[in-house]
Amino acid sequence: MNKNKLFSVLVPLVSVLLAFLIGCVIMAVLKANPATALGALWKGAFGTKRNVGTTLARSTPLIFTSLCACFAYRCGVFNLGGEGQFLMGSIACCYVATQSGITGLPGIVLCLAAGALAGGLWAAVPGLLKIYRGQNEMIISIMLNYVATLFMGVVYTNWLREGSVPQTMSVPNEVKLTRLFGLRCTSAFIIAVVIGLLIYYFLFYTSMGFQLRAVGLNMTASEFNGFSVKKYILFSFLFSGVIAGIGGSAELLGTQFRLINGFGAGYGFDGVAMALIAQLHPLAAILVAIFFAALRVGSTTMQAATGVPTSVSEIIQALVIVFTVAGLALVKLPEFKAFLERLFPARKEA
Amino acid sequence: MEEILRMEHITKKFGEFYANKDINLDVQKGEVHTLLGENGAGKSTLMNILFGLYQPTDGQIYLHGKRVAIDSPATAVKLGIGMVHQHFMLVEAMTVFENIILGDRNTRGIFIDKDARRKEILELSARYGLDVELDKPITDIAVGAQQRVEILKALYRGAELLVLDEPTAALTDMEVEGLFRIMKKLTGEGKSIIFISHKMREVLHISDRITILRAGETVKTLNRGETTGEELANLMIGRELAPSHYEKVSESREPVIALSQVDYHKQSKHNGLNGVTLRVGRGEILGIAGVDGNGQSQLAQLVTGVIAPEGGTVDLKGSKVATFSPNGFISENVSHIPEDRNKMGLVGNMSVMENIVLKETDDPQFSDAKGWHLKKRAIRAYAEKMQQKYDIRCQSVLQEARNLSGGNQQKVILARELENEPDLLVAVHPTRGLDIGATRFVHDTMIAARDKGCGVLLISADFDEILEMSDRIVVMFEGAVMGEYSGINPPIDQISLAMAGK
Amino acid sequence: MDMSFVTNLLLASVRMATPLIFVSLAELYSQRAGLTNIGLEGLATIGSLVGFMVSLLTKSPLLGVLAGMMAGILVNMIFAYATITLCAEQIVYGMAINIFAPALAAFIYRIYFGSGSELVQVKLMSTLANAMGITPGNFFTKLLLDQTFMVYLAYALVVFTAVYFNRTKSGLNYKAVGEYPKAAATLGIDVIKTKYLASVICGALAGIGGAYITTCYTTTYVDGNIAGRGFIALAAVIFGRWSAGGVLLACLFFGFFDALQIRLQVASFGLPYQFFQMIPYVATVVVLALIGMKKAGPKSCGKPYRKEER
Repeated sequence: MNKNKLFSVLVPLVSVLLAFLIGCVIMAVLKANPATALGALWKGAFGTKRNVGTTLARSTPLIFTSLCACFAYRCGVFNLGGEGQFLMGSIACCYVATQSGITGLPGIVLCLAAGALAGGLWAAVPGLLKIYRGQNEMIISIMLNYVATLFMGVVYTNWLREGSVPQTMSVPNEVKLTRLFGLRCTSAFIIAVVIGLLIYYFLFYTSMGFQLRAVGLNMTASEFNGFSVKKYILFSFLFSGVIAGIGGSAELLGTQFRLINGFGAGYGFDGVAMALIAQLHPLAAILVAIFFAALRVGSTTMQAATGVPTSVSEIIQALVIVFTVAGLALVKLPEFKAFLERLFPARKEA
Repeated sequence: MEEILRMEHITKKFGEFYANKDINLDVQKGEVHTLLGENGAGKSTLMNILFGLYQPTDGQIYLHGKRVAIDSPATAVKLGIGMVHQHFMLVEAMTVFENIILGDRNTRGIFIDKDARRKEILELSARYGLDVELDKPITDIAVGAQQRVEILKALYRGAELLVLDEPTAALTDMEVEGLFRIMKKLTGEGKSIIFISHKMREVLHISDRITILRAGETVKTLNRGETTGEELANLMIGRELAPSHYEKVSESREPVIALSQVDYHKQSKHNGLNGVTLRVGRGEILGIAGVDGNGQSQLAQLVTGVIAPEGGTVDLKGSKVATFSPNGFISENVSHIPEDRNKMGLVGNMSVMENIVLKETDDPQFSDAKGWHLKKRAIRAYAEKMQQKYDIRCQSVLQEARNLSGGNQQKVILARELENEPDLLVAVHPTRGLDIGATRFVHDTMIAARDKGCGVLLISADFDEILEMSDRIVVMFEGAVMGEYSGINPPIDQISLAMAGK
Repeated sequence: MDMSFVTNLLLASVRMATPLIFVSLAELYSQRAGLTNIGLEGLATIGSLVGFMVSLLTKSPLLGVLAGMMAGILVNMIFAYATITLCAEQIVYGMAINIFAPALAAFIYRIYFGSGSELVQVKLMSTLANAMGITPGNFFTKLLLDQTFMVYLAYALVVFTAVYFNRTKSGLNYKAVGEYPKAAATLGIDVIKTKYLASVICGALAGIGGAYITTCYTTTYVDGNIAGRGFIALAAVIFGRWSAGGVLLACLFFGFFDALQIRLQVASFGLPYQFFQMIPYVATVVVLALIGMKKAGPKSCGKPYRKEER
């Protein structure tokens, strides 16, 4: 049995349990019955076919941003700019969708491509500054998040504003993504999962992905062994931006249809959190994103049924990340390993 | 004679492994007492116990005849024990003055009383001949001066007993002489010194008594006058020291790599190259001798394409190298055993298997469709074959490389670098920190590569290794080549002089 | 452009720089002990909310600031335990704090105020001039007297920090922990204790910085009111080259751009106001790009410290 793998699954699970435990205490303090509340939460997220569709729809942008974070971190760069890249993608997509007049499948492809390009370019800024100026990619990418948010503000309050409400016009029906089985969930979810699978294949089954991971784990050794470290860093930034950019476009074409205040807000950091909980595994990231989406969708039902405010579910989500990261560090400590050995004396020496 | 320190029956276990077993040591006032032993003989563990960094599993320590418990470095300092670690404990961003007064508890007040402290330090430094420039940052002074700062630091804290852990490893002969003068002065003033080394010449020169450790146990304590270098070496290794048993080659061959007047950061004495001209022929080992930090790292990085020269030319297999990149050199079949295996050689968080095929995942042997599909089964089978062939001891090839011992890590690198029969092998300190068995394995493998026609550039600070392995020897000092000598009956005296820049 | 525009701009710069000074000093103390804490945004957020609530309840902005400070310390103890004792990666855990603390703040706000949309407002801290009952006339009296207690505190802290790190024995030891903890330990300095102390100071100052926003700057709490100041503070520490004086200049510089954008928004020039709001963020990127990054800063930042036993 591989202990490391066991722990990498066990730690997040225990963290989720602990977070729910604290969540239940909070519910009890708020004079709600935790069992009823959790039941409502479950029902809201997965109770009906319709709710499952809603949960998957909510998970879609989260999958994109967490894959974005995963991909960059695998190469050792902390792209905290997922949100900005997501927004720039959606802005470019919005322009193509509303201004180009191209519709149908070519229109959709063009919209997504524009979003991918914009996301990638926005990510190239911190990538290039890191490579050529040795600059801290975290601060730069976060600053660019604020710039992107404000820029989107310009777009929906000015340039593409429709009527008196500060929002853009809606994208035409012809480029909206198709709903799956008549649910709220659209083909965007399929795109997200396919991208996740592709990333998984790339990272673990191709030579380039292998080298990219090596760069992420030890840049000096990678350089000595002939890998072009700078190219990989730039590539990982660009591609993680592309993923976020497609995510922004898909969210626009599949769910929101127009840019408006609060579009995409918080998705970037959510993505980082999920990537960390998933320990940078792209397939795990998809599952974690669905779990987080379920908490969010279910919490609305919970609030309606038991009066427990939705922010309780936000606290649970935040606690999961706090516990997971701490737990993963804990199980690596020599003291913890020694403790385990005392607890379960080794059956056979390896 | 008055006894300063007595360590009795010291035992230290790490898990099931005895790092120290029933060690006895006593130090008299005013003597230089040498601890002699190979890597892993238990010298450092014993000294870390004395300095309170480790707690002994068993045994007692007496200072001035009184039993003491040393639970932390702070206690050791209070008891008058000072230690100069092999890797200096100096804060580079701070000045000499700041380093000396750091952690000071003897003076009152919140603020640093610069004038008073400076006066004290200058008095000390004059008394023991430890001249240092107080206001220079540590980064701006030479290694020898940094060592003087360390000694001053210990004396400033009232050390009566000084432990010097391999203090000569990074020094030139001149600097070593200076250090020995200081040591004489210190013992003359009644201080005692524990000197750790494995350089026979120095040990015989400076010690009053010598205690030999082997495999964690005390072998013997001898007076200097009553022993010879040969006896010490035999006691240290535990058997007769076999002379070099490798056949040397002498005839000149077509060069694999030739450097002509190569410059890199010329002004830097310790990290540059100045007009270096040398060549490595097919089927020979060229040994680069020299004290660490005289441009060897830069030379190694240059002939593996990591850095590019600022002047001069490099010819690789007969054609001039235009662009320098590790990848370019690798595709010209140049292999590299880098100086820091954990930092430069291995991806520690990847498995032994992944590290073995690190450079070759694009190869059709390991992937289809130009690298777009890895053949996982073929990779694993190959890695297991290499595990057998290079005697890599690990639980499985899936074990993370960072969990292997140094010797086995080096074997992983050998398997990667030597299996595809390179034209040039650049090996930097290939046996540093390895035990005798692993060292022998690495040496045998390198000789075998040479005999297959590979040119080997061996860079090592271990003079004995250079003498044993090299067919030709080049000495480097402050980035320049000081001379070239035959590896057959090499003129040892001339070479040591050249290493000191003469 | 008339003189009043310039003087108002400068006065506003000082005001806008103040929260940045607190938060940047927080990071300075943290990094000087070898802890890179990117969770400042989160710490400031919780400080801001708690400061707001306590000053609302007690009608005392000063008590609000104290409470914000305590909240910052408490939350940062999570970071300290995880990174110092459990040796979790500092960057990763800083992000965790950035996600956890705002969620906690939002939660407390919703629970306490309900999800009603009416804005609750507090009384802001009064300036020295107000307290003394005078109306400052010219630029200098405004600059020197028309400021809240927090502004004076910020500058006093800068002076204190500069003296502490450069002139005192304790400050020298503190810096050694951030540069080379092993060497510090061999000299009898308690590395772990120093790092925890650094985390207390960091949490306190970041909490104060956040509380400043809700007790001295705006009369109400809204989610996201820290608006990236926690991250700009990180840039300010780099820009200020890890010295108290440098950090002060960097904060004034960034404060100036913040003040400038507000003034320009008012002036409008026919451009969408968001472009002006971008100025502080763009300035941060440009400054970082220009100064480049010679490997600087305390050497042990980001690395966990362990007493080494084999």
